[in-house]
Amino acid sequence: MSILPTTTGGAVQREFRPRLAWATIVVVAVFLTLLARLFQLQIIRGDELKGKADENYVKELRVPADRGQILDRNHQVLVDSRPSFNVTLTPFYCGKQCGEIVARLASLLSLAPEEVERATSQLTGARKLERFRPFTVKVDVKREELDVLEANAMDLPGVDVQPMPHRSYRYGAMGGHLIGYTNEVGPDELRRLNDELAHGGRPQGPYLLGDYTGRSGLEKRFERELRGVDGKRRIAVDAKGREKEGEFIADENRFVPARPGRNLVLSLDWRLQTLAEKSFPAVAGVVLAMDAKTGFLLALVDRPAPDPNKMSGRISAAELAKIHDDPLQPELFRAIQQHYHPGSTFKAVTSIAALEEGFYRPDTVVNCPGHFNMGSARWRCDKEAGHGAVDFTHALGASCDVFYYQAGAQMGADLIAKWGRKLGLGAPTGFDVGGEVPGVIPDVAWHDARIPGGYQKGMAVNLAIGQGDVNVTPMQQLVLYGALATGIIWKPQVVRRVEDVDGKVLQEFAPQERGRLDLKPSTRETVLKGLLAAVNQPYGTAYYLRLPDLQMAGKTGTAQVVKMGARRLRADQVAYFERDHAWFAVFAPAEDPQIVVVVLNEHSGFGSTNAAPTAVELVKAYFRLKAKDEAERAAPAGEAPVAPPRASPPPATPGRGERPRLGALAPRRVEDRG
Amino acid sequence: MADVSLTAATERRRLDLFPWHVAVAVVLICLLGVWNLASASRSAHSPVWMAQAWFMAAGAVLALLVTLFDHRNYQRLAWVFYALVLLLLVLVLVKGRVVMGARRWIGVGSLNLQPSELAKIAVIMALASWFNFDEERRKTPRGLMGMVIPLGITFLPAALILRQPDLGTALVVVAIGGTMLLFSRIRWRTLGLIAAFAAAGAMFAYPHLKPYQKKRVESFLDPEGDALGAGYHAMQSKIAVGSGQGLGKGWGQGTQTMLSFLPEQHTDFIFSVWAEEHGFVGSLLLLALYFWLVAAAVDIAGNARDRFGHFLAVGVTALLFWQMTINIGMVTGVLPVVGVTLPLMSYGGSSVISVFLGLGLLLNVAMRRFVN
Repeated sequence: MSILPTTTGGAVQREFRPRLAWATIVVVAVFLTLLARLFQLQIIRGDELKGKADENYVKELRVPADRGQILDRNHQVLVDSRPSFNVTLTPFYCGKQCGEIVARLASLLSLAPEEVERATSQLTGARKLERFRPFTVKVDVKREELDVLEANAMDLPGVDVQPMPHRSYRYGAMGGHLIGYTNEVGPDELRRLNDELAHGGRPQGPYLLGDYTGRSGLEKRFERELRGVDGKRRIAVDAKGREKEGEFIADENRFVPARPGRNLVLSLDWRLQTLAEKSFPAVAGVVLAMDAKTGFLLALVDRPAPDPNKMSGRISAAELAKIHDDPLQPELFRAIQQHYHPGSTFKAVTSIAALEEGFYRPDTVVNCPGHFNMGSARWRCDKEAGHGAVDFTHALGASCDVFYYQAGAQMGADLIAKWGRKLGLGAPTGFDVGGEVPGVIPDVAWHDARIPGGYQKGMAVNLAIGQGDVNVTPMQQLVLYGALATGIIWKPQVVRRVEDVDGKVLQEFAPQERGRLDLKPSTRETVLKGLLAAVNQPYGTAYYLRLPDLQMAGKTGTAQVVKMGARRLRADQVAYFERDHAWFAVFAPAEDPQIVVVVLNEHSGFGSTNAAPTAVELVKAYFRLKAKDEAERAAPAGEAPVAPPRASPPPATPGRGERPRLGALAPRRVEDRG
Repeated sequence: MADVSLTAATERRRLDLFPWHVAVAVVLICLLGVWNLASASRSAHSPVWMAQAWFMAAGAVLALLVTLFDHRNYQRLAWVFYALVLLLLVLVLVKGRVVMGARRWIGVGSLNLQPSELAKIAVIMALASWFNFDEERRKTPRGLMGMVIPLGITFLPAALILRQPDLGTALVVVAIGGTMLLFSRIRWRTLGLIAAFAAAGAMFAYPHLKPYQKKRVESFLDPEGDALGAGYHAMQSKIAVGSGQGLGKGWGQGTQTMLSFLPEQHTDFIFSVWAEEHGFVGSLLLLALYFWLVAAAVDIAGNARDRFGHFLAVGVTALLFWQMTINIGMVTGVLPVVGVTLPLMSYGGSSVISVFLGLGLLLNVAMRRFVN
């Protein structure tokens, strides 16, 4: 035996030898014992144990985790999960009967042809151990269908009903673009998603076929936070996949509970959102409201939007095609993905450029005869008869075009573009939910590169009143008017906090400044006076919307979609897609702005009539709700039902009940200003 | 000049003495181990076999580094290493990472170190160093008093490991220490006394075991009594092994493995995966490789030139032998379930590194068996 040394060693080695002989005996004996045991288990008892293994499968069922909720700033639930049931089939357990069972399921569950096709292809595609993995035949089955399955369970080996939380968008299409939707992970993207996941260092398990993942909006942006950690339940089953009676699996292995995803707390106030949705008459358009002090959004209406509840199921091809082919493009997140001519709302930018570059002074007066001539070309003013001699306040307030035509002609496109960019236009706002378009702030080089014949001086004249080639997104307008209001260029945000299921704050988002307006004090004062005049002076374009107790400052805009013809047409005389867009941007209170609102009503005509009322409603509601919340917070919780002392008789109509509170708040502000 | 050529000559001689048969056995087991892990980790969705391959490569480099210096240089270093490991063991109790109710890991950067694995090597080196010193000066075989120090060296880390709690590793440390002690000169009378003590100690210690540990012992003594509870592991593992039959189900085709009947299948129960998928023939092959390795290790111990080397080799042999025996014994239901890894087959970086450190010491002793 080679174990014992053949070499002749020294004294020490002679000392070791006898012990090693013992050791060798022990080693050989142990190996023989193990060998004998393996022989006994694998050869003698092999058939018996093989049989046990075949009768003795563990079926691992997922305990799917709830996806995190999406809540408004007051923790009102906007999106959560409701219980639902999926029907799955495990190929191994139905064996040769599989095809038959799919056919039976098709009739019991009234499967669509595409669902049958999918099930059949998954059935034939499963090889070897994959056959143990259940696949989903139908998602979100109805109660009655479940009962039918239940009754036929014995004839349906391999068929299981899996509880699966289904996303519930409580308010349908409201805020749909922002919230986004989820749907099933396809086989082609499974690998990519799981690769990304592997580098994320998160506790979530890999995606499996049929899992839901965020596809757009917040659902996509915060997929990692929203997705929970699935649990597991293991049950012992027989060769047909039916659960065996009795306990076969050790307790600690039987059940691993699921951990729900994290909740998103938005800055939106759903009361404002609801009001904005109701008071906004548009077929297509955007309403944005932002907290002027932080850059957090308070409301975001974006129309039209597909209902995420529909998008999050297995939507049929026909329904999807209908959405794709809709000329109103419901899939477009207009607030950030579509840009429009800003129209007259751009005059604030032109004003700043003219003042900062020294072409105009705060006391400049221009005579408006109703048109502006340069060379042989003539530009019409909005008011055909002309405004007469106008200064800045009047020009911005009454939206005199001639005042700005002249400024544009004097400055040229480059200087206007320079200030447009300084004010945050022409670049994404940093709102990081969904892809943002940058808009267009055209300078001379831009025109030279894109327009046949290159830049002409007249283009600056159009640019000065927000027409021509300048384009901005509603979100950019919001940020711009927020900057005019406060001097800070905010990064607009909508998620305030990420919380765990118990409400513990895991991540808090702070306001983020992208920059500050660096203007001469006189410039800012002049522009603000003009914006104030637009709402508060009799000649102002939004004068009829003024509030007695709250000073607002803002600007209307009407963006021409087609070149103005010889004759002016009323909105109802023009085909829908040729009508002008209506803009209104406003902030309040003018002296210490707290809220900024931008409204864009697509193809609706004039800004003052079709965009501004919604904005004013929102501003009013904002202060009303703020006063109400403060009163509630001040009152001890137990006395909540008791009305505040100054409340007049119980409000019969909401309008009457609201007034006094708003009135109580506003005069104080006016005094501050004095 | 003469010096240099002399050195070169001894170096060449050392290379001639490199125990290639040991290296071949180790490489073969490693290859089977990684291949088997690739199958076992399929259901866990994480390709741990790649990590394992990297650990093995790192371990091999470490082992070769260990062979570069004459093992006698390690006699003093042994104590430094021992002290360091004790420190780590205390540290892990204080601020270790808890996994499945036990505190066994310390984070080192992104890696998790399991100091109890290093403790095995530390005990081997420290005991070898002690016996080398002690046996040299001793005229007569040791009595009870002569055992105090070696037992102390063994039980101090073992007790710390037991606190984690990690019964399996603590047992392996005690088994290694006990084996090395038996290889020193002991009075027969004392040996009998120790045996009696051990039996009494076991009786005394049993009430202090954790409930789950007690359950395992009970279910081992009466496996059918509680086949669904504590006997579950033993039962399922036996089914897995037995269902492999003669030729096995084929790589990646083990249903017991794939369907997660066996928890910890890629660590402690890795042998059941191998036995299920490769049957009696595969089990025989693996056992033969282990026998080859252990036999070669015994051979090296017997041929060691000095006492320190001899005890080092005995310690490493004990490590390989006991872990293999306890692990396969447990998987096949001959021994109760305790968490002991199968050297070079089970997944685990610390385990792989400690085994390779031991192999490095073994190779070192083998390569210097004629050099004076």
